Amino acid sequence: MSNTVIIWIVLPALLGLSLIFIQRLPKLSAVLGTLFPLVFAGLALIFSRGLTLIFIGRVFTLADSLTIFGRTIQITADQLGIIALLYMLCFAWNLVGRLFIVSQWFNSLSLVITALWVSVQFINPFLYSAVVIELIALISVPLLSPRGTPARSGVLRFLSMQTLAMPLILLSGWMVSGIETSPSAEALVLRGALLVIAGFSLWAGIFPLHSWLPMLTEETHPWVISFLQTIMQIGLAFFSLKFLNQYAWLRNLEEIKIVLKWVGALCLISAGIIVTFQRKLSRIFGYLYLSGTGYIVLSMAFQQQGWLNLLTLYLLPRAFGYWSLGYALSLMHEALGSEALRLSELKGLIWRYPRISILLLCSLLNIIGMPLFSLFPSHRIIWSVLASESLPIRLLIGFGLIGMIIMFLRVLAAAIQPAGVINDDKQERAVLIVPVVMIISLMVLGGLFPQAFSTPLQDLFISFQNLLP
Amino acid sequence: MTEFLQSLPVYIALLAALLNLVRRQWSLNLVALVVQFICVFPPLLKILPLQLALIHPFTGLMVTLILYLTLLGVGGIKAIDLRHTLTSGELFRGAAGVFLLATLRAFLPQIHQAVFPLVSIDHLFLSLGLILIGLLQMGTIREPFYLAIGILTFLSGFELLYSGLEFSFLLEALLVAVNLLLAIVGSFFIIKDSESEAA
Repeated sequence: MSNTVIIWIVLPALLGLSLIFIQRLPKLSAVLGTLFPLVFAGLALIFSRGLTLIFIGRVFTLADSLTIFGRTIQITADQLGIIALLYMLCFAWNLVGRLFIVSQWFNSLSLVITALWVSVQFINPFLYSAVVIELIALISVPLLSPRGTPARSGVLRFLSMQTLAMPLILLSGWMVSGIETSPSAEALVLRGALLVIAGFSLWAGIFPLHSWLPMLTEETHPWVISFLQTIMQIGLAFFSLKFLNQYAWLRNLEEIKIVLKWVGALCLISAGIIVTFQRKLSRIFGYLYLSGTGYIVLSMAFQQQGWLNLLTLYLLPRAFGYWSLGYALSLMHEALGSEALRLSELKGLIWRYPRISILLLCSLLNIIGMPLFSLFPSHRIIWSVLASESLPIRLLIGFGLIGMIIMFLRVLAAAIQPAGVINDDKQERAVLIVPVVMIISLMVLGGLFPQAFSTPLQDLFISFQNLLP
Repeated sequence: MTEFLQSLPVYIALLAALLNLVRRQWSLNLVALVVQFICVFPPLLKILPLQLALIHPFTGLMVTLILYLTLLGVGGIKAIDLRHTLTSGELFRGAAGVFLLATLRAFLPQIHQAVFPLVSIDHLFLSLGLILIGLLQMGTIREPFYLAIGILTFLSGFELLYSGLEFSFLLEALLVAVNLLLAIVGSFFIIKDSESEAA
């Protein structure tokens, strides 16, 4: 048991699988599904200062590696911050998951998926993690497409895209093996870089390979998809940083920075423009993820100028933004009894469901990065640095932002329209005021004191030594 | 003659993959899937020891068994009807598949020389052929069962290609897990669809 790999990968996966057997006891499953990730996150934070702990006179020392099938998986103390973040995400989503009608496997599979995302960061050789990501996609299927509904095209396309990405990443590793010793092999470097970029584009749903993203958010419960997409986005961000950290040929390739800048800008403009024309909030949610991917890619493009610090400022507010928006959409999903959440159904929402409406509008403002909210500080830095970039990139990002603001105004306009005669017996619960006030206060506090969000993640990237300035 | 016999499994496997691409008959598709997995064994045996070469066809048999039992459960297994005339869609998919394989065969020496010089031509033809047919199936079909077969074909081709490049026990174990999970996901889709139809 005294091994980091067993504690943070094997044990959570086994516990997650064991929760499947008690899915008929939903309360117990929800309590355990919330408690387990909290314990694993807490342990990761405790041991992040060193793998030796003295507690009531007893010394606990953890081994940092485990050999499986001749390959070593290693988790050192300075990498435990990443684990703590991933398990905190799992905890946050399981905490209120019971309030919504989601798949009965959510508690168990979310824990298994988190354990697998942790393993993605630490398998050695790290390229084999591509297969684990495929496993995660397959395990996600029961959550994305619960029983009782036919399999829809979004989940099928998602599976196809994730499957296509895996060989590209594995082949890139084989293709560039030995390149470190022959740095003149320029064609190989370019070929390898292309494979890596194509693989990550398929995984993350980067424009123009993003079509599955809005389809999936449309077809799936907002609470489930917000968890899966948030942990995927953050997990992939860490995994791509690992690529940059390990491969000097990729990191030092001048073209990669240009490509990353353009990819990020294209994600922002495409999300901004397409979102303007959407009629369903569920699809808008998908495009907000595309936009988030754009900001993360832009941060990576400037990693050599200390932008990893920016990611520490950015990741937690972003995850919190998705959490609050997922929460607001799930409340609306239950209140309106609508799966797609069409803008036309939002007519008079603010009069019928004032608390949910306020939460939704504030969450949208937060995730767009408007002043006063928690994502504003990091977005402001990105915008100000990009102001010195080329005019086309500035224009793309500017139009992307304008598109997002137009989308917000459309949602606002729909919500404040007079409701008319509505045969709706459902009443908003008065107790909702408590979580709504707490969430909005946290958003504003995060905007006023950004260090509050970034300080816990200060040492998050310490293991990516080649990327630190 | 010996050369022809050595290449025979390659062509049978590709023919089975083409059959899965073209025809829409569950029993026939499962038989073709088994044939495809078994015919991958001789090329693997040329580069791997017997115990390791057996992993892929054995996994394939398990995968097919999972799908077969699921189809049996939902009443999807019927006698194979070989006299069924081809529809325009089937003709299109068949022609597209043959065209892709012919194009691949034409450019194979160049691909072999430029990218995969360590892999034999037959091995490369079978693996890239399966990858292409799998891709075509994934791109042209929306039914979950056939998508699962498409992904299995694609992965089968990729596993074959990658085993010619390098071998790792960990990777092999992970790929076996992917194949089995894919079969379970395919079964899950079949059950879901039959439940929704019944409702």
